Amino acid sequence: MKTAYRVLAHSIMILVILQTMVIVWGFFGLFHWIEDGGVMNKAVLDDRDTLNFTEQRGMMLHGIGGMVLVPLVVLAFLIVSFFAKIPGGVAAAGIVVGLVVAQVALGIFAHGVPGLGILHALGAFLIIGAANAADRRAKRVSAPVEVAAR
Amino acid sequence: MTRSRIRTAVALVATAAILGPLGYFWQASLLPDAYSMMSMGYLDDGGGPAVHQHAGGVPVTQLRADPDRRPDVDVTLTARKGSFTLASGQKVDGYTLNGTSPGPTIRAKVGQLVQVRLVNESVPDGATLHWHGVDVPNADDGVAGVTQDAVGVGGSFTYRFVADRAGTFWYHSHQISHEQVRGGLLGALVVDPAKPVPDETDFVALMHQYRGYSTVNGSSEPAAVPAEPGRKVRVRVINTENGLVPVWVSGASFRVLAVDGSEVNGPAEVRDTALNLPAGGRVDLGLTVPATGARVEIGGAAAVTLGPAVAASPRPGATLDLLSYGTPQAVPFDPDRAVRHFKYDINRRPGFVRGRPGLFWTINGHLYPDVPMFMVRTGDVARMTISNNSGESHPMHLHGHRLLVLARDGTRATGSPWWTDSLEVPAGESFDVAFVADNPGIWADHCHNLPHAADGMVAHLMYEGITTPYVIGGAASNIPE
Repeated sequence: MKTAYRVLAHSIMILVILQTMVIVWGFFGLFHWIEDGGVMNKAVLDDRDTLNFTEQRGMMLHGIGGMVLVPLVVLAFLIVSFFAKIPGGVAAAGIVVGLVVAQVALGIFAHGVPGLGILHALGAFLIIGAANAADRRAKRVSAPVEVAAR
Repeated sequence: MTRSRIRTAVALVATAAILGPLGYFWQASLLPDAYSMMSMGYLDDGGGPAVHQHAGGVPVTQLRADPDRRPDVDVTLTARKGSFTLASGQKVDGYTLNGTSPGPTIRAKVGQLVQVRLVNESVPDGATLHWHGVDVPNADDGVAGVTQDAVGVGGSFTYRFVADRAGTFWYHSHQISHEQVRGGLLGALVVDPAKPVPDETDFVALMHQYRGYSTVNGSSEPAAVPAEPGRKVRVRVINTENGLVPVWVSGASFRVLAVDGSEVNGPAEVRDTALNLPAGGRVDLGLTVPATGARVEIGGAAAVTLGPAVAASPRPGATLDLLSYGTPQAVPFDPDRAVRHFKYDINRRPGFVRGRPGLFWTINGHLYPDVPMFMVRTGDVARMTISNNSGESHPMHLHGHRLLVLARDGTRATGSPWWTDSLEVPAGESFDVAFVADNPGIWADHCHNLPHAADGMVAHLMYEGITTPYVIGGAASNIPE
């Protein structure tokens, strides 16, 4: 279970890094598409069936990742933490869950209040930090006790 | 019990505490293979006199135009699924009516009886036709599973209604509408006044996106109006998309002659101003072709040209506000005498709809299908406050009625009476609207960003004593949204 805990902590870190990569890929694709004469408006934005530019996949992936994949992995992380017997492991997973909930909420409400986007970007770093802290906590427990030899 | 066992037991209980409610909500969101709109959600009488639903009321099938009256306009539309070529040459997959998309523009004069026979030649999921903006009898509203069964391959359905108001309307499938409308199963409907407007060129500009091609009347090339400089033109812009489209004019001033098929009273001339046209909405622009030419820009991606070529212009910063546009005029009912006051609060939360997890729209705090059934009696004046706290804009469409906008965010309307059937309610805003319940039936009241409707953003307005024999799902596989 400790291994599963660590694998999931790493998965969360990797997924969040991928989330940042695909969304930036998407936005640069959008700018490039506009440079090439593409026109973005609400009707184009809401035509979810059409891929206007390849990098639009980045935006779709960010949506699926943020609203489905990351929440599922984080939920599994919390459940595994109950069984992993890592001192403070449940609390560490709980912090990750809390941050992800806040992050998803910020991602949604930033559509109406764009200023929240600043916190949404910061949230990514906080989740990575919290997942990393949880992983280090698990690593301390699972690593063999080293006796300092002089 | 050892400490370790206790620990495991606590872990199991905690896991059950998380997965149990998830499983419960998932299970609760599953819908039967067939269910009636009448048994869905909960009754909301808007604080007015209690409305009772008795068994054995009048079925919607009886709410039809005079069956003995001969049609003045008689059209057959044959629906097909497959690839077709746009007027501008691109090949796309989708749906056609009589071999084209958009389908033929249907034109009638006010007061005429329009009869349209829909024949489904090859749309495997079935199809219907909804007359967007026209207050048709309920049996002809074209909503699969509510007012009819979807027309299967080889089947047909005949719609009959009196075109009682001159204006710009459109028609589209209301079976799996988020896919069939996107694929082009739609067309324009124009009801002309009894007496033609003299010295005016009339031009329909139906805007649709086919697999990324922004088109006017099925062509990605700008549509040219055959009108010489000095000629008065009425351009009827129809937004068949899922999102709002800004419309503005390069090279000329213009007036907004009509909104959603209702004439604007005393429309002022405006220039360098855009109008945000909601999904499903229509606007008639009036302009005189200048000697130097003009362009009606539709979303910046499609255009209508008038006279000599003129350069496209970017969207102007100013936006026309219909709340204060035009001059006031008496309306045929008193909104202050409303006997019902409905709330349509739009929000968003995580949950399950039809067993699918996600972030879904809520109506008055409830997820589909636990949505309100707004109950009225024939003749009621009703008000509705539509508030949007969901973080995203929604184009709200009530079938079979036109809404009078009274106020936005508490600011009263001061311009021409603003009648609408497709009202954009931006995030964080609220509208007070009123209507007269003068068209008995069961009417969808939904978001016309059609994927939102497919995700459950649909409620109904139901009249006392009206029932429907149709079901969602069932043998006809009715999936209205």
